[in-house]
Amino acid sequence: MDAKPRLLTILDAVTALMMTAATIMVFAYAPMEAVMGPVQKVFYFHVAHSWVGMLSFVVAGIAGIAYLRTKNMKWDIVGLATVELGMVFMLVGIVTGSIWARPIWNTWWTWDPRLTTTTIMELIYAAYLMLRQGIEDPERRARFGAVYAIVGVISVPLTFFSIRIFRTIHPVVIGSGDAGAEGSFDMTPRMLQVFFFSLITFTVFYFDLMWHRIRLGSLAQRVEQLKLRLSE
Amino acid sequence: MDGPANTMVYMIAGYAVIFTVLLVYLISLVIRWRNLRQEEEILREIEKKS
Amino acid sequence: MNTSAGASEKNQAAETGGAASYFSALWAVIWKDLAAEWRSRELLSAMLVFALLVILIFNFALELDALARNNVTSGVLWVTFAFAGTLGLNRSMAVEKDRGCLDGLLLAPVDRSVIFFGKAISNLVFMLVVAAIVLPVYSILYNVNLFRPGLMLVIFLGSTGYVAVGTLLSSMAVQARTRDILLPILLFPVAIPLLVAAVKASAGFLQALPIEDIRPWLNLLGVYDVIFIAVAFMVFDFVVEE
Repeated sequence: MDAKPRLLTILDAVTALMMTAATIMVFAYAPMEAVMGPVQKVFYFHVAHSWVGMLSFVVAGIAGIAYLRTKNMKWDIVGLATVELGMVFMLVGIVTGSIWARPIWNTWWTWDPRLTTTTIMELIYAAYLMLRQGIEDPERRARFGAVYAIVGVISVPLTFFSIRIFRTIHPVVIGSGDAGAEGSFDMTPRMLQVFFFSLITFTVFYFDLMWHRIRLGSLAQRVEQLKLRLSE
Repeated sequence: MDGPANTMVYMIAGYAVIFTVLLVYLISLVIRWRNLRQEEEILREIEKKS
Repeated sequence: MNTSAGASEKNQAAETGGAASYFSALWAVIWKDLAAEWRSRELLSAMLVFALLVILIFNFALELDALARNNVTSGVLWVTFAFAGTLGLNRSMAVEKDRGCLDGLLLAPVDRSVIFFGKAISNLVFMLVVAAIVLPVYSILYNVNLFRPGLMLVIFLGSTGYVAVGTLLSSMAVQARTRDILLPILLFPVAIPLLVAAVKASAGFLQALPIEDIRPWLNLLGVYDVIFIAVAFMVFDFVVEE
């Protein structure tokens, strides 16, 4: 259990290679966008981060349901791991989006559905962690965390729809673009390649980090059990 | 049109944020792992003695 | 044939008996809360004074003159209800926990969901009472007529969803070390779609917009209520089990 699994080492290497390749592709392979200039290159990693942030939110909900059904502590470790990762990735997604928006929308921030929803997601992640911090009994902490993750994952789409009813200026790059969206652009084939490669890279990176975070979580669990045993 | 806008500073800022945050997170993972391992060892020793 | 019909009849009888005992248990939980509140009045009076203070603060913070009032009334009302609501939700669960009533209820041979629905309904009653007092006061203070059937409907739908989620989350929050500060942090981010829809629908009714403009918000309120009552009902068992 302690030794690092061989497969994880391989995954680490693959992730590192893919990250390097993605970074090189963004700077050297992707063409310069005609209107927005270099800042458009932020977009590739920005979307990838937001995607991972959302993915981990869904995983947190699934882990919550799985925990309540099986009462197996490993699902709690998965839940905590994915929430922590999601919080980091979503934060990067929000900040990079803001940096992109400053020159393009002429403002750091607008209250459009995606920005608002991701911010609320981040707040739900934070609330999840604060809830866990306030509970000492590991079993109850796991149960409450699972319940809150489920409630959160259901409320987020509703939040999105509730704000969607207002007009949005966030560009829809994939699918039918909103004509009024400011800062939207047509992707050339090269841009598309870089875009999808970054998405895949960061998804792999997410699973690699998850594995590490789960190992850390089970170590933390062992230490906690040791402490409980000794204090008895 | 006068070509692409000069937004180099923002691009650099964006990628600086991305790599800094990821690096900090990775370091935090390593540090937490080490601290927990130390704690585990100490606790196991205490357990053996008692 | 005959026996199966008899069996199904028997089943049905057992079921109606079960339903009757379910509702009498539910009524007992609600009645216990309302009677206790009627004697002490501490929860409602705290919620009310708090709600009026919030409105007072808004008066100075936003300079509610005639023009501003039209635009912000629904927002002010819902912020007031939401804040007073968290106060009430937290207190009503904390009282159960401290007096050991929750453990007593859990030992009682009733379905766990009785406890959830009982607490939720009595919380709903408290919120509606607060609304019933805040609305006329607000109408008098700011000289706007808030007594419109549409607004009543929105307040009912909004409060229902709010107490459904709020009761579930407050029963978790009171079991945590940081319980006094935890409930708003847990509740507000997941209640945002509800509050957005409630504010928009109320504003629509107050500005007498055509019903087509309000309907999407009413639908959203309804969907939120149904989803979260169902979810809370399903997961409440896990929150109170020991």
